[in-house]
Amino acid sequence: MKKRHLQKLMAGVLAGVMAMSMLAGCGGDAGTETTAEAPAETEAPAETEAPAEGAKEETAEASETEGTDAEEAAAGGAGMESWEAFADNVTIKIPVYDRGVEGVPAIGENYWEQWIQENFGDQYNITVEFEPITRTDVLTSYSLLAAAEDLPTILMEYDYPKLAQWANDGYLTTYDLDQFAEIAPTYYNRMVELDQIQYTTMNDERYFVLAERPYYNTNYTYITFYRQDWLDQIGLDKYPTTWEEEKAMYQKLKDEGICDYPAGGHMASEAGVDQNYAFRTYPQDELTWATVGHYAIPALSSDAQKGFLQRENDLYNLGFKNPEYYITDVETDKANFVNGDSLWFAGYISAEIDFVKAFYEQNPDGKLGVKISENVVDSAAGTVPYAFRSNNPWGMMIGFSSQATEDQIKAAMMYMEWMTQEENLFTMQWGAEGEHYEMKDGLPVQIEYTGSDKTQGFNNNKDYWCVTIEARTAGTIEDVIAASSPKNIPQDFTEDIIENYKGQVALAESGYSVVDCNYSVVIESEGEYQATLLSLYTEYRDQLTMCKPEEFDALYDELSQKYLDAGYQEIIDERAEAYNAGNSTKLPQ
Amino acid sequence: MAKSKASAASKVKNTTSWRNAFKRDWQLYLLLAFPILMVILFSYAAYPGLRMVFMDYKPAKGYSGSNWVGMETFVKIFKDKDFHRALKNSVVFNLLDLLIGFPMPVILALILNELRFKRFKKVSQTILYLPHFLSWAVIGSVAYTMFRPSTGLVNIALMKAGVIAEGIPFLTEKWHWAFSYLFIGVWQTMGWGTIIYLAAITGISGELYEAAMIDGANRWKRMWHITLPGIKGTVVTMLIMNLGRIMGSNLERLTAFENSQVKDFQYQLAVYIYEKGLQNGKFSMSTAVNLFQSLVGVMLVLIADRIAKKLGEEGLL
Repeated sequence: MKKRHLQKLMAGVLAGVMAMSMLAGCGGDAGTETTAEAPAETEAPAETEAPAEGAKEETAEASETEGTDAEEAAAGGAGMESWEAFADNVTIKIPVYDRGVEGVPAIGENYWEQWIQENFGDQYNITVEFEPITRTDVLTSYSLLAAAEDLPTILMEYDYPKLAQWANDGYLTTYDLDQFAEIAPTYYNRMVELDQIQYTTMNDERYFVLAERPYYNTNYTYITFYRQDWLDQIGLDKYPTTWEEEKAMYQKLKDEGICDYPAGGHMASEAGVDQNYAFRTYPQDELTWATVGHYAIPALSSDAQKGFLQRENDLYNLGFKNPEYYITDVETDKANFVNGDSLWFAGYISAEIDFVKAFYEQNPDGKLGVKISENVVDSAAGTVPYAFRSNNPWGMMIGFSSQATEDQIKAAMMYMEWMTQEENLFTMQWGAEGEHYEMKDGLPVQIEYTGSDKTQGFNNNKDYWCVTIEARTAGTIEDVIAASSPKNIPQDFTEDIIENYKGQVALAESGYSVVDCNYSVVIESEGEYQATLLSLYTEYRDQLTMCKPEEFDALYDELSQKYLDAGYQEIIDERAEAYNAGNSTKLPQ
Repeated sequence: MAKSKASAASKVKNTTSWRNAFKRDWQLYLLLAFPILMVILFSYAAYPGLRMVFMDYKPAKGYSGSNWVGMETFVKIFKDKDFHRALKNSVVFNLLDLLIGFPMPVILALILNELRFKRFKKVSQTILYLPHFLSWAVIGSVAYTMFRPSTGLVNIALMKAGVIAEGIPFLTEKWHWAFSYLFIGVWQTMGWGTIIYLAAITGISGELYEAAMIDGANRWKRMWHITLPGIKGTVVTMLIMNLGRIMGSNLERLTAFENSQVKDFQYQLAVYIYEKGLQNGKFSMSTAVNLFQSLVGVMLVLIADRIAKKLGEEGLL
């Protein structure tokens, strides 16, 4: 009897445990949620992360002069002084990139988020939550949130086509520019000053707010480091400029037994890894630029892409490139550089660059150099070796969620304005004085943070303050570079990085810095075929890289046709239609 | 008298009501209630969502804001060359998986059953079960480390031993990849798969083996004439269940062995659904393909079940 009673009791307890576990699965605090996806990728060179002032574009359709209502509203003394706390608490959700980087605090539970809540949210009865967005799969992250009716209050991305797709698919709602100007006059006035208002509309509806991107027509934060100690051994005092010289350098490194595969290499895993700007014909034909010029969908079938892939094929067949590159991920490629298995590696600069730091730990006597952009034309190879993709004249493009209430949108506008205020932005970017930085000659100088609770997020909290600006600015560009060049290593690269910046400015002035074409209408076929084409491209580009040189031309034609048939031709046609109808930006004159 | 007692007993038995049964065994019903609730919640409650296959479903617009398009999504999918490629690869690889992978646990269970040294048997079983607990991400990563063409451990060992002059592209050439993919799949699942057959074998009466031994049957004959027929029902049930997976596709496994040189074979339905559907926010398309997979799977199970019954087996349903 006793045993039977015990069995019944056990059954009851088990049932209770099952019920609890089931209910536990149903709940969940979105605020503390972290994504389980593990992006294995550092940002690609294509990332629109940093650039500078310059080339003005004109949007045919968007050249309308904006009404003076917004300017009046902005000038009307509104802004933070006029804000009042909401009567009922309003919750806003702000997206933050989850980059899967080690050593940065978790999104949804760190000091800086609490700091924002205390200094902004609590003042206006707003709860600010942060939503992690997988950096390598932004569209999927947002579409899953949309399906769950849990979109963040604002949606952010660097690329115009993504925002256009969101606007077209109903993720975004339109907003009132007058209201924005009234609530966020600092932000609005800056948009006017930077001539960004023309880019805020899509199909004549106003969807977008644009953050600032200082120095947008250069790419000074993306730097290639190479082994100067190896070059010294073969008698070169700097990285060669032309293809012939580069080839000779690689060959010598091999012949001398210094490195088996100096060109290294890793698999192409996302858009933008194969940029063909160096292989274009300048000045560019505007229609070609408008139809096959955008980096987001590789331009297989174009002459420029053929040039790029031909070079890859040469590198492979000459034995300079790692023969296993196509099964080598970026992290392994990085480790190969650190371990002395390749000549160079590129990445974004910050005070702490993992691979540069690791390099000196591994090679205490090693010496690195910075590849400095030069305004040269390699006539023999038919390239402009340092031509590059300039960024758009904005940082983040921001839209408001169609699932947000009016109060949430208002609170989000307040958040953007608050983050734009100098003192708030400064603290978010630089941290606490004495802990993260020290003031020297009136400028902040970053120091190594030794605590743990106030550790900044990736790249000095950038994924939080990118809602208003894309780079830290303090003083001149030289000061900015000095502040962000790598620290706590045996070499100082500040001067070289400044030189590289100046080289890029010179390239930009010569027309070798290219801003991709943007459209004021949605290119539907891009959304339809982009994922398919990216997948096909990774397959085809490796076939073209590894084929025999004599087979390259025929294979390029064959695969180009397949690529066109798989949807690229439709994209080209639709882009051409938009271009011919005047619904696109133009090349700078 | 005895008759009336029996009829009274049957009367009592017949009148056991739901109420009495529940009162007596409520703890058991309570235990059962939660799994049933979970099945309803996660398997059936999602069914209304299937209507998105007939819509141009936009996540941000929801069901009410999306347009009905009838069978357009299916038409689009069935016209899509990539779908045909994915479907062909899925069916071929699943059939091969079945052909190679299905007999292995049966054979292994028979072998394990014959082991007489208990400790060795237990250690062997543990070693065979372990791969089941490794994720495909780990297996893929280890496989690439082992089988890279020029820097993989296996190729280096073979080259140093003078067996081969240049590395075998185990995972980087499509035909080699197909072999490696299937072989690693079998390796991962066969140990775990033996459990159900070993359990079935324990259900076979020991007396049958004793009688066979007295009649002079050797090990092979005992295995062939007693063990195998004894687990035939279980084998048929497992086969029917596996047939339902012919249209299935495991994204985790495919992603773990992905590289640009093997797309011809690696592009299967799970990859198609992820790349063309989810990554593009085309939930209608993903759901339509998934529904197609499920319907074909159910049909295969029903057909296999019918055939099994016609052949005199118990079947599954």
